[in-house]
Amino acid sequence: MTTMSPVMRMAHDISAQFRHLSLGEAADVIADHMRKFWDPRMRAQLVADVEQAGIHCDSHVAAAARLLRSGGG
Amino acid sequence: MITVYVPRDSAAVSVGADEVAAALEQAAGERIRLVRNGSRGMLWLEPLIEVATERGRIGYGPVSPHQVQGLIDAGMLDGADHELCLGVVDELPWMRDQQRLCFARVGVTDPLSVVDYEAHGGLTGLRQALAREPADVVAEMTESGLRGRGGAGFPAGVKWQTVLDTPGETKFVCCNADEGDSGTFADRMLMEGDPFCLIEGMTIAAHAVGASEGYIYVRSEYPDAVATLRRAIDIAYEHGWLGENVLGSGLRFDLFVRVGAGAYICGEETSMLESLEGKRGMVRSKPPIPAITGLFGKPTIVNNVLTLASVPRILADGGAAYSELGIERSRGTQVFQLAGNIARGGVFETAFGITLDELINGYGGGTRSGRPVRAVQVGGPLGSYVPVSQFDLPTDYEAFAAAEAMLGHGGIVVFDDTTDMSKMARFAMEFCAEESCGKCTPCRVGSVRGVEVIDRITGGEDPDGNLAVLNDLCELMTDGSLCAMGGLTPNPVRSALTHFPEDFTVNHREAK
Amino acid sequence: MALLKEPDLGTPAKPGPATVSVEVDGHPVTVPEGTSVMRAAALSGIDIPKLCATDSLDAFGSCRLCLVEIAGRPSTPASCTTPVTDGMRVRIQTPRLEKLRQGVMELYISDHPLDCLTCSANGDCELQDMSGVVGLRQVRYGYEGENHLDLDKDTSNPYFDFDPSKCIACSRCVRACGEVQGTFALTIEGRGFESKVSAGAGELFLDSECVSCGACVQACPTATLQEKSVVDLGMPNRTVLTTCAYCGVGCSFKAELRGDELVRMVPYKDGGANEGHSCVKGRFAFGYATHPERVTTPMVRDSIDDEWREVDWDTAISHVARRFRELQDTYGQGAIGGITSSRCTNEEVYVVQKMVRAAFGNNNVDTCARVCHSPTGYGLKQTFGTSAGTQDFRSVAQADVIVVIGANPTDAHPVFASRMKRRLREGAKLIVADPRRIDLVRSAHIEASHHLQLTPGTNVAVVNAMAHVVVTEGLTDESFVADRCEDFDAWSEFIAREENSPEAIEAITGVPAAELRDAARLYATGGNAAIYYGLGVTEHSQGSTMVMGMANLAMATGNIGREGVGVNPLRGQNNVQGSCDMGSFPHELSGYRHVSDDAVREVFETLWQRPIVAEPGLRIPNMFDSALDGSFRGLFVQGEDIAQSDPNTSHVTEALRALDLLVVQDLFLNETAKFAHVFLPGTSFLEKDGTFTNAERRINRVRPVMPPKTGKHEWEVPGEIARAMGYEMSYKHPREIMAEIASVTPTFAGVSFEKLDKLGSVQWPCNDAAPEGTPTMHVDAFVRGKGKFVPTPFVATTERSSRKFPLLLTTGRILSQYNVGAQTRRTANVTWHPEDVLELHPHDAEERGIGDGDEVTLASRVGRTRLRALLSDRMPVGVVYTTFHHPDTGANVVTTENSDWATNCPEYKVTAVQVGKGVTR
Repeated sequence: MTTMSPVMRMAHDISAQFRHLSLGEAADVIADHMRKFWDPRMRAQLVADVEQAGIHCDSHVAAAARLLRSGGG
Repeated sequence: MITVYVPRDSAAVSVGADEVAAALEQAAGERIRLVRNGSRGMLWLEPLIEVATERGRIGYGPVSPHQVQGLIDAGMLDGADHELCLGVVDELPWMRDQQRLCFARVGVTDPLSVVDYEAHGGLTGLRQALAREPADVVAEMTESGLRGRGGAGFPAGVKWQTVLDTPGETKFVCCNADEGDSGTFADRMLMEGDPFCLIEGMTIAAHAVGASEGYIYVRSEYPDAVATLRRAIDIAYEHGWLGENVLGSGLRFDLFVRVGAGAYICGEETSMLESLEGKRGMVRSKPPIPAITGLFGKPTIVNNVLTLASVPRILADGGAAYSELGIERSRGTQVFQLAGNIARGGVFETAFGITLDELINGYGGGTRSGRPVRAVQVGGPLGSYVPVSQFDLPTDYEAFAAAEAMLGHGGIVVFDDTTDMSKMARFAMEFCAEESCGKCTPCRVGSVRGVEVIDRITGGEDPDGNLAVLNDLCELMTDGSLCAMGGLTPNPVRSALTHFPEDFTVNHREAK
Repeated sequence: MALLKEPDLGTPAKPGPATVSVEVDGHPVTVPEGTSVMRAAALSGIDIPKLCATDSLDAFGSCRLCLVEIAGRPSTPASCTTPVTDGMRVRIQTPRLEKLRQGVMELYISDHPLDCLTCSANGDCELQDMSGVVGLRQVRYGYEGENHLDLDKDTSNPYFDFDPSKCIACSRCVRACGEVQGTFALTIEGRGFESKVSAGAGELFLDSECVSCGACVQACPTATLQEKSVVDLGMPNRTVLTTCAYCGVGCSFKAELRGDELVRMVPYKDGGANEGHSCVKGRFAFGYATHPERVTTPMVRDSIDDEWREVDWDTAISHVARRFRELQDTYGQGAIGGITSSRCTNEEVYVVQKMVRAAFGNNNVDTCARVCHSPTGYGLKQTFGTSAGTQDFRSVAQADVIVVIGANPTDAHPVFASRMKRRLREGAKLIVADPRRIDLVRSAHIEASHHLQLTPGTNVAVVNAMAHVVVTEGLTDESFVADRCEDFDAWSEFIAREENSPEAIEAITGVPAAELRDAARLYATGGNAAIYYGLGVTEHSQGSTMVMGMANLAMATGNIGREGVGVNPLRGQNNVQGSCDMGSFPHELSGYRHVSDDAVREVFETLWQRPIVAEPGLRIPNMFDSALDGSFRGLFVQGEDIAQSDPNTSHVTEALRALDLLVVQDLFLNETAKFAHVFLPGTSFLEKDGTFTNAERRINRVRPVMPPKTGKHEWEVPGEIARAMGYEMSYKHPREIMAEIASVTPTFAGVSFEKLDKLGSVQWPCNDAAPEGTPTMHVDAFVRGKGKFVPTPFVATTERSSRKFPLLLTTGRILSQYNVGAQTRRTANVTWHPEDVLELHPHDAEERGIGDGDEVTLASRVGRTRLRALLSDRMPVGVVYTTFHHPDTGANVVTTENSDWATNCPEYKVTAVQVGKGVTR
């Protein structure tokens, strides 16, 4: 936990709120939230962190990060 | 078994009734049924033993404990003659001449016996009331002409009507039993001698106005009355006279006793409500009147013990019958209390209209000291001093008011010709200073200054100037005080000044 | 203006239309039913002499000076306690009345010191005035009689004296303490002539329950209760109307000056928020403004290890501008940013965010609301459509059920608490949700129907369970939901799930299911139900979720859109609402409009002649993170001590140390300034000219009492920095800034200094649709159209007690101190709270061998500090509590980097800790 980067920690905090949604719905909501409230640098950092984490990354966070990457951050 | 009565009333107890009762039990316990009744109200005869005989109840008194054995030996239990024998109690002039409505059972029954109570007409009024609509009950009260016996004489029916007409889910009936006036004891005697009567009156009131809770506010100086009331309330609950379903009528009425803390001002109704709410006993401004905004802000009947104890009889016999008694606008009976320097002191209930002379010199027998009466104070410490020249005054609210006096709660305190009336005037101001709640300026500061000014007058210091100051002060206290405490304090002062001006001069005082 | 003496009509106004016509000494007047004769007379222009009556208190009828004659009545009733009746003819001046009044005054003066000429109330004494009014010429009783002239003065309170020798026993102080403040600390002791005002059972004021709100001092008609400042300095001679700069209640005050010296602050009766009431902070704790530690000259240094050098303003500003530009040139446009302050005026905040967006050319602006009410902004925007409370304070007088969640108004919002307590004494029911037994749960004449003593961090579970009861027990307001809301079905399906039932969450929250059910039923069925909340809601990992949960509950029961209901944040700082309104958040322009909205940006771009970045900028915690990773290098901080107030102090200070340029503008060299390279002196509220917006969206004027001690208005500084950075931005007066705000912000379109000066205050939205403002929001429709139900699943915080840290720490404020204490610690308020203490349950203390008053160590996984223990059964077992007013304690040394998922508002209210006796441990 302490080793997690700040953006990864925040992304996990967000994704924890949307466990009640399907992966697809959750990813949309999470990515949308990040677009609305996160500086683009933070979003880019997240995409990079998720790539580096690979399969060890939370599935919701990873799905949101994919949307951020494909949706132009 | 022979039924023998020895009062449990605290006035009788204070002169040895308990010891007399104990002596009786010891001497003849197996032969008698001892009933601890209330007092008949002939206090000079206490302890008064009554023996039930075929001729009626034969009285003996005043009896000392050491005389008991002798009385028994002399055949008291058979109603035999003796130097202490008074004959049939009901036929004594004092008893025979009264019209006892309120006090009908006091001294007659065992105060805590439900059998006695019903056998002597108890619950008739309540049953009558419960069978009728609340508005009809209030109408009966209005027709009776009953006025508040606490002193102010406000028509009880009007007050009840106001509470009835004020909407509210919660209403209260409060009984003011903070009997603090000097020379008054009728409330206490009734609570000790016939507590069910008060309970019945309050229950009728509750039905009449839609109240569900009642409080009896008793002064702390009356521990016996408190104990008797509490026991009576328990018994009433046990018999369904109080509680969720009074006499099966569906009426819910809960009744509680609250004990004061020794402040005279809590006899003033709004102070009493403050005290009942757990606050400092301080007078409230009116309006709002308690009938609309009373205990805890709810519509509330506040009536004196004697007012509420008059209710059962009115409902039993009808308002019209009650209103046939009395004179002018003073209808029904008043419970007079004769006290002070008087030969025969006690309670005397009779229709309004009887004169002071009849009461004091007639039934009361003049002063106890044997000296001439100089004045009487009627209506408590805030009442006027009435000189002998006005003894032909009929006891009537308006007649007294016209003579700048008041009937008040019916207490009459007698003074003989050795009394210095300037001291009595000073005492009035002192009493006010002592008992003022401290809220309004004329009462709080005025009473203290009143004492000082009277001292200056009687000390010979600029008597004319200071008399003028005193007059102005009396006027201010009368017109400017918040409640009757300050407002009435000038009564005794002014009446003393008017009728006995000579007592305020230095010469007179030096002569004494 | 000259000294403002507010009219006193004697008794409070009665509601309703004027229907009762009376004649006062021949003058006709028509007033509402129930109005007193005294007030009616005053309204007709005739003042009846009075001493115990004042229109902030219910009529009492004790002085007997206001006696009148009424045609047809023989008596002379008191006009204060006598209500008018139609057709009543009242006489005020007759020989009889004059004589009575003189008689009353004669009695008063016979027991009053005759030292008027040297008395501190000389010129402001109602007894003196009335003596003149009634024409008292002699006291025939003399002055030798019994009296109170030898009674001792009580000077124990640091702000006012009590001199019982001057008391006229009018009970105004006692009544004010009860009726207005609701503390009931004062009483009348003794009876009759011995009646004496007493603070408790013969105690000194300082030792009593007195909370020093000043209501008694204000109510006193003589010099009996008198401000020490008046005793020392004399009577003020002019007034400036202004607004308090402490909490979000936003009380209006009369600053009363003697020449240029501030003598006292007196609450203003026409103040919309406070209606003449005050607390110990606003009323008395203004001395910090002239404290010797104030810095009034700009200072610069190259390294934080260097000594400060005083410089002139021009040097400081050009230095700041040059260094910011250098950082942007080297590290990019986004390498710098600014933080606005909720302590500053709307105008000051607006120019800082404009400097950032237009001159810095980025959106790296945030405000201290980040660490307090940002979840309110998020949650209410999502559900209702705007980021603000729904009611005005007056609305509480119409509430039948009051829910207080995570707020401690008697300490933190005392003036509003007094209004709330008045309503509770009138019979409204109270539900408190708080781990700690706050004073409201049980205090004089108030007892909560339900105290939901939940475990810290479980708010959402509790509010969900309340909504569960509403939905499953058929207590939903069907028509409100159908007509006014959307997404109800999905939400109700979610909330009705068994996992949200009171029984299911009992083990998590510690709240008995039956109690919670009863509370929910009361809320749903008890009439008008209003929710008031504070930072105990927002400062959690689910702060935003909780705000939405409360909004859901209010909508489901139809408790929105009229007086007496609503969802109401109690804002911590004087201008939190305003600083948020002004576009201080990195993702929003003024009026809560997202930077990605092209149309909105265009408005600003056109006016400012600069492009606005369409992407959100960095929030405060992101700034710290970016500073540590090297991408963020320069920061301008206005009036906020982030090093003390933000969580996880070591993380914050590390970030501040990493900055190349930290510019701090403040009154004092605070903790943050230790890491600053430039210090710009700021102005106190007594020097400011502008507006504050309080928790009820009320825009109040702040007017300068004195010129800026720094030689420069604070609103000028960002403009000068911007200009030095090449962006032209200048105003001649703050009213021009407000005019610009109004021109770009639809909800402020109708706001101007002129209007505020005329109306006193307005509540936004204020525009053509609501020219005089909007006391109650969402009346016919929600701002977003339909109210939106948002499912709010409970997610437990990751911060939980463990074997190593078995206790949960929660934090809050105390009455006498304010936030980091920069102001209140520099006043006599330290008398009451000289240090922060750790409250803990006696059981937890005993287990650790801790006694009351022992020094203890408080440790969390991120830090440790020490403070003194206070054993208190207000705390549940397992939960400890402290305040964060003193830098020595530094409560935030132990708080963590956890934050609200949506807004990054720190999770101050839950930290797993261990407490140990002694300082080493």
